[in-house]
Amino acid sequence: MPKTLRTFFESELERIYSEEVLSPEKYEQVRQSRTFMNKYFSEKLELDDLAKAACMSRFHFVRIFQRMYGLTPRVYLRDLRISKAKDLIKTGLSVTQVCLEVGYESVPTFSSVFKKCTGCTPREYQRMHNSNPE
Amino acid sequence: MIKIYVTSIPVDDQDKALDFYTHVLGFIKKKDIPLGEHKWLTVVSPAEQSGVELLLEPMGFEPAKVYQQSLKEAGIPCTSFAVDDIDKEYERLSSLDVQFSMEPTIAGTVKIAVLDDTCGNYIQLMQEL
Repeated sequence: MPKTLRTFFESELERIYSEEVLSPEKYEQVRQSRTFMNKYFSEKLELDDLAKAACMSRFHFVRIFQRMYGLTPRVYLRDLRISKAKDLIKTGLSVTQVCLEVGYESVPTFSSVFKKCTGCTPREYQRMHNSNPE
Repeated sequence: MIKIYVTSIPVDDQDKALDFYTHVLGFIKKKDIPLGEHKWLTVVSPAEQSGVELLLEPMGFEPAKVYQQSLKEAGIPCTSFAVDDIDKEYERLSSLDVQFSMEPTIAGTVKIAVLDDTCGNYIQLMQEL
């Protein structure tokens, strides 16, 4: 059915995004850093690496990333790693294997971050998910 | 520590909603508890079965119907779900006769689409770019 009227929602979307102050180039640059994180999350990543992937200085990178995504690259990377860790735990990998696979060097640190993000330890998560096959 | 365990969307028919949210969108039924003439009915994402539950909330309160209808008429989604590949999801759902009010559209750092859930709501799908 051809739509003759734009809804309030569509009008608001157009208004909001036409007022956007960031250029399309900036979006593309920052997206490159996100692609980089999604690809290399299992490695030791420094802020310099991420900023370089976005072709920006560290200062501008953090500010613009936060402006675009609403959180810092550090939090974004942490959430990405924990999300990957949950998927890997469900495949049956040991907690130690998962820890290294998502870029953490120490199991205590990994367990602490995992618990903070999910509300349970990796072992509890493992127990919970491996005992409930659907 | 207080934590979020459930969030709700109003639906005009709980059984129809359960069918749509499970068989079409792919969620899993979690709780089904009789409560008077309705029920406490929740679904969860298959990827996060111990995560936040979505309550398919009956509207026994007239102002809730006015609110739902007003949002719908304005084209405003009542809530938003994340997807990994919105174009693929759009094709899959369209082939199941799901009606979209908005096709996949880039908006800043996300790509969104808006679908009709057959129970009185528009729902937004969002892929982060």
